[in-house]
Amino acid sequence: MAKPQFDFVMRRALVTGITGQDGSYLAELLLEKNYHVHGTIRPRADPAKSWIAHLLSNPTLHERMVLHQICLTDSESVKDLVAAAAPDEIYHLAGQSHVGLSYEIPQETCEFAVLSALRLLESLRSQCPGARFFSASSAAIFGRPTVAPQDEQTPIAPVNPYGCAKAFATHLVRAYRESYGLFACSGILYNHESPRRGPNFVTRKICRAAAAIKAGLQQELLLGDLEAKRDWGHARDFVKAMWLMLQQANPDDYVLATGVSHSVIDVLDAAFGSLGLEWRTYVRQDPALVRPREPVALLGNSRKARVILGWEPTVSFEEMIREMTFAEVERLGTGVSPE
Amino acid sequence: MAKRALITGITGQDGSYLAELLISKGYEVHGIVRRTSSQNTARLEQLCQSGNTPAGKLQLHYGDMSDSASLFRVIKDIGPDEVYNLAAQSQVHVSFENPEYTTDVTATGTVRLLEAIRLSGLRPRFYQASSSEMFGLAQESPQRETTPFHPRSPYACAKVHAYWATVNYREAYGFHASNGILFNHESPRRGEAFVTRKITMAVARILAGIQDKLCLGNLDACRDWGYAKEYVEAMWLMLQQEKPDDYVIATGETHSVREFLEVAFGYAGLDWQNHVVVDPNLCRPAEVGHLVGDASKAEKCLGWKPRIRFKELVRLMVDADVALIKSQQGRGQTAV
Repeated sequence: MAKPQFDFVMRRALVTGITGQDGSYLAELLLEKNYHVHGTIRPRADPAKSWIAHLLSNPTLHERMVLHQICLTDSESVKDLVAAAAPDEIYHLAGQSHVGLSYEIPQETCEFAVLSALRLLESLRSQCPGARFFSASSAAIFGRPTVAPQDEQTPIAPVNPYGCAKAFATHLVRAYRESYGLFACSGILYNHESPRRGPNFVTRKICRAAAAIKAGLQQELLLGDLEAKRDWGHARDFVKAMWLMLQQANPDDYVLATGVSHSVIDVLDAAFGSLGLEWRTYVRQDPALVRPREPVALLGNSRKARVILGWEPTVSFEEMIREMTFAEVERLGTGVSPE
Repeated sequence: MAKRALITGITGQDGSYLAELLISKGYEVHGIVRRTSSQNTARLEQLCQSGNTPAGKLQLHYGDMSDSASLFRVIKDIGPDEVYNLAAQSQVHVSFENPEYTTDVTATGTVRLLEAIRLSGLRPRFYQASSSEMFGLAQESPQRETTPFHPRSPYACAKVHAYWATVNYREAYGFHASNGILFNHESPRRGEAFVTRKITMAVARILAGIQDKLCLGNLDACRDWGYAKEYVEAMWLMLQQEKPDDYVIATGETHSVREFLEVAFGYAGLDWQNHVVVDPNLCRPAEVGHLVGDASKAEKCLGWKPRIRFKELVRLMVDADVALIKSQQGRGQTAV
């Protein structure tokens, strides 16, 4: 049987961490753009209970998706995967992304970030040197910056195990780009949230608690530093920039951020406010939740991405927190949540 | 009671000089060595010879930077006052061939060691061997403690990672942990794959009539070359300070490989141009910029200053290799 003609132009993407928040939004975007999407999942993971369940249960989309169970720190499997998927684009999003957790499991955080980046870059070099590579870096590489906002020129100076691991990967991507001429880029991502954010992140924790308190299922909420400020954007906006970075003529690193800073109190106001609640009645501060070392004034300047990629965040902070809170209310009603 | 020091990478150039220095200061020195089929303790020979070191002053333990349990056990058993982390896959060129191994030992190995110390509950002072390679495509010249890093090789990326891990354990857990950002430092004990030693060994062999050609990569590469024996003093000084900090250790002079050739061959009465062959395969995929360090902070805070300068360093390395080849020939050994 003759192959349908579009097969010849259909681009192939490989997404590591496809079941996560960013991976699932990126998979949606790529499928919408008619890509063939290969994704990696951990051995024993159940994708039917993940954020891509809705894509897998859609027969038309499912046809264009292939999932690979793989340990990304195993060099042979990574090489075989890259050879088999023969991707035009690789998006490396997999990794433990919680700063607090990186103090609990520093070796695991470090080994995974370091080895997965290395093995993918080495496989890219040997199997498909023409493919384009995106690596998810983080604002955590700037640590405790002395200037705000930060941009691509800000010195890398991480202050926690997660930031150290991400800084390594960022340097490595640049070294491989400069040494071997690979089309390899890092997106230096500031915080980006959504209803699919992991439950141990403060935004999701707050939105979830607001919904549970509203439903009478929870009485109080313990939080760390309420004054902590972050530059919070919407993950759906951020994955568009990842894709745009790989459509350029030249590979480069870009800061991706909203450029607007909000405090944990702002999240509380927006989340509890959207349900007509006063957060001060329910929130207690727990010193045990304050991190050993808190980065300050993390605020990104994504001018370069705006000018060169034509990228711009479209969802406002308030809209995002409202969406996240309403999603939690819905989940409580249906009892359905992937975690 | 004598102070106890633990040195990773004790069998290397710096490790052996540091062990000698610490023993001369009355320390009990412990070293971690990898088990290999070929004995690699040649640089410790002088120390190990009976009479040179009081009994029990130098003890070697099997361990590996890729094995966290071994690091934890050694630290628990010894209870060191000072830990010097010198272990690494330290050849930049090799790191392009073996990026994973380089990273595992150099970056993750440092995280393992710091974490082993943290979990041991002990709080020895910690020295991390950082490198001028971290500056790579240097953003300013000369490079100092505040110069941003732009690593250009897997080795340099791994060293930057280890640097920040050290800073992080200092800030997050209050470790007395310091980085010495050492510019190139050479000696007769430098590994023979490094360009300086490769040149001085070639000079000695050419003089002895057992070699004619010398293959080298980029002759224009410029480095700030100091004497390793002096640099280990700076390591020790850093751990004697009240507060931990990071210091650049350098001579402040930069010289090209070509200049090194001129001095080394010229000292032996030879013309390097008759012997050197440039092999593009030996050039790095990405070369670093002109590396030259500003060690004024170390001079001000540690009272450390380099004494041996470039020409003297090259000559002492040539002298040592000429003597080495002579002794090998005297013993009827074939130089390998």
